[in-house]
Amino acid sequence: MSTDPHRPHRDSLSSEGRTSVDEDWTQLRTLLLSPEQTQLDEIRERLDNRGIQPREISRVLPEAFAMRGETDQHLSNVLTPYVENGFVATIRKSPRTIVDAIAPILGPAIRQAIARALQSMTQSFNHSLDESLSTRGLRWRLEAWRTGRPFAEVVLLHTLRYRVEQVFLIHRETGLLLHHVAAEGAVVQDQQILSGMLTAIQSYVRDSFGASPDQTLDHFRVGEWTVWIEQGSHAYVAGVVRGTPPETLREDFQAALDDIHAQQPDALTHFDGDAAPFKTTQTCLESCLHAHYEPPPRPSVLKLWILGGAVILLLSWWGVMAYQAHVRWSNLLVELEAEPGIVVTMAESTLTGYHLKGLRDPLAKDPSAIVVEAGLEPSGIRAVWSPYYSLDPQLVETRAHSILHSPKTVKLSVEGDTLVATGAASIEWARETRRLATLVPGISRYRDEGLVTISIPDLLERVNQTIVRFRSGSSIVEPSERAALGAVSMALRELDQAVSQSGQRVRLEVLGSTDDTGSVTRNIQLSEERARAVLVALGGEQLGDATTVIAGSVQSTDQRGSTGEARDRRIVTLRATLTVANRGNEASRP
Amino acid sequence: MMQKKVCMLGGFAVGKTSLVRRFVSNVFSEHYHTTIGVTVEKKSVKIDDRDVTLVLWDLYGEDEFQRVRDSYLRGSSGYILVMDGTRRATLDTALALRQTAMRTVGTVPFIAIINKADVRSEWEIDERAIEQLREQGWTVLFGSAKLGQGVEELFVTLATQIVQTSPIPSDSL
Repeated sequence: MSTDPHRPHRDSLSSEGRTSVDEDWTQLRTLLLSPEQTQLDEIRERLDNRGIQPREISRVLPEAFAMRGETDQHLSNVLTPYVENGFVATIRKSPRTIVDAIAPILGPAIRQAIARALQSMTQSFNHSLDESLSTRGLRWRLEAWRTGRPFAEVVLLHTLRYRVEQVFLIHRETGLLLHHVAAEGAVVQDQQILSGMLTAIQSYVRDSFGASPDQTLDHFRVGEWTVWIEQGSHAYVAGVVRGTPPETLREDFQAALDDIHAQQPDALTHFDGDAAPFKTTQTCLESCLHAHYEPPPRPSVLKLWILGGAVILLLSWWGVMAYQAHVRWSNLLVELEAEPGIVVTMAESTLTGYHLKGLRDPLAKDPSAIVVEAGLEPSGIRAVWSPYYSLDPQLVETRAHSILHSPKTVKLSVEGDTLVATGAASIEWARETRRLATLVPGISRYRDEGLVTISIPDLLERVNQTIVRFRSGSSIVEPSERAALGAVSMALRELDQAVSQSGQRVRLEVLGSTDDTGSVTRNIQLSEERARAVLVALGGEQLGDATTVIAGSVQSTDQRGSTGEARDRRIVTLRATLTVANRGNEASRP
Repeated sequence: MMQKKVCMLGGFAVGKTSLVRRFVSNVFSEHYHTTIGVTVEKKSVKIDDRDVTLVLWDLYGEDEFQRVRDSYLRGSSGYILVMDGTRRATLDTALALRQTAMRTVGTVPFIAIINKADVRSEWEIDERAIEQLREQGWTVLFGSAKLGQGVEELFVTLATQIVQTSPIPSDSL
């Protein structure tokens, strides 16, 4: 209190009075200096409480960083380890965050790299494939084998028109490399040393020929490589090209160089050896990595047409043949289905041939014959037929004829399951048939009310009673005689049928005779002529197999009725007898 | 990666190429020396934990038949003057080349190295001459192509001086 300058000094005051005065002064000071006192308290609090400082620092920190950063690199050097440690810690703690952050940057770059690699591989593969089977492809394969180089590389070398393999962006004054790109598979030497040498060579050439600074080396060629150089104000582009590039490529180089100069004017002007800013020229320089290949020779249009025509003809022919075969096969199946006694249970048409399986009645038509009729080769069809009895009326009738040995004079017909016999037959056959008919498969009943039965003796008698009369000196059968001969002919056929079932044969003698008029020789001749004429009238050539016919003559003395009228001796008589088959001796019957 | 162009200069047969041969990367034959007068090589050094690539233009030794081309010197961030300790004349050549370099690229860092330090007794360049050079501000090192001495120091010293002249930006790492 003694240092307080504002306090009045009054030595005469009593202690009580001093106390009162002090209180007054305190009150007065509070009234007068309250705002300042508050500010002083705040300042003291700030000084005493260090927790307030970071807030204050945060207000000026960005400006402080910026100011120090402009002065020197010390701040960066100090912060770098902490930033690095923090980055490493972040990656360890939460790698996903870092991945998410850099994915948008790395994704396109990776995709581009993969696309370029695939493109290069596809290009090489396509070329190899295109040329693998051609004539020159075989020649190149021989070359690859001879030189020990991969076939794809040999193809590439022969089909390549040009390919920009490397592009250098070089600082013009120092010859230092700013950036470099190379095509897939290009052989790349040390780019920094190459950049220096490229610059040295240009200086050498310019100096050697006394060229002015604006006259520059545009290109030089070594073997299959050409180096093209495009000059800019601060940098130049050198492209290493394999093959023969088109002049338009130079425009691409110049355009890329112009872009780089436009994008990086400061970095180029103040270049001091730091090539980092020129990493951004990657895309620009890659746009110069052109490649052009010779397309594989196209086959001539005429050859293509001929080849195409031949293929179409072949296909058409094959199509027609296949269609015809299909039609034949379909027709065959229809024919087989329609054929009585044949049932097709399986039919297949495969690449190896045709396959048939089914049922066949032994009396049915031979399937091979139907196959031939359908226009197919029986050898091309593998058929398996299982035997069975068909109930088809036609086949049942055939089966009945076959089993019952019915004579030709008998007609058998099938009505449902009934066998009906009509016509004429011997009593023996009729009797036997009544016993056997129902044993024929498909037949349950037998009817023969329409069948006329005759006996063999009756037939023999009917034949043997026949006499054919002739005019004098004639061997012509008279019309009046022919009617009788028709009935005899029928009897002979019936006889033939009847005896054939009993294992016997018929011996028919046709004997001619004459009256006494004329010479004996003539009469014998006439007798024989009359016998043959009767035989012809009987249809002797068409008589059954069981009948043996003998035509001859008889002497006048041996003739029937030789003692009668002369007209009774101008006749032909028939004599039918039975003989046992395969036996020489006759068993004549009355 | 920081790159700096550095020229190696010296009289005829002072051993420039021999001195650095085993320390540098090279893809070209020395034949280029006698054809276009230069071969380009590369040497990487670490300065303050940062890589600096010195692109070395090894120029053909100057003599009465061939002079160093000024155009090769252009754009150099520094240069190396090589002398043969056993031949006094190479010091004179180095002095002349120093003038040429100053005329072409201005005041840039340079290092002088006197070859054949392994046969010091045969030297014609004496200590006094060397002292005079140092008094003129030259950095003079001794090297031996035979023993491979002094070369690493040569490159590191020159690179350090170059970097100090033009600091490496931090983002060039």
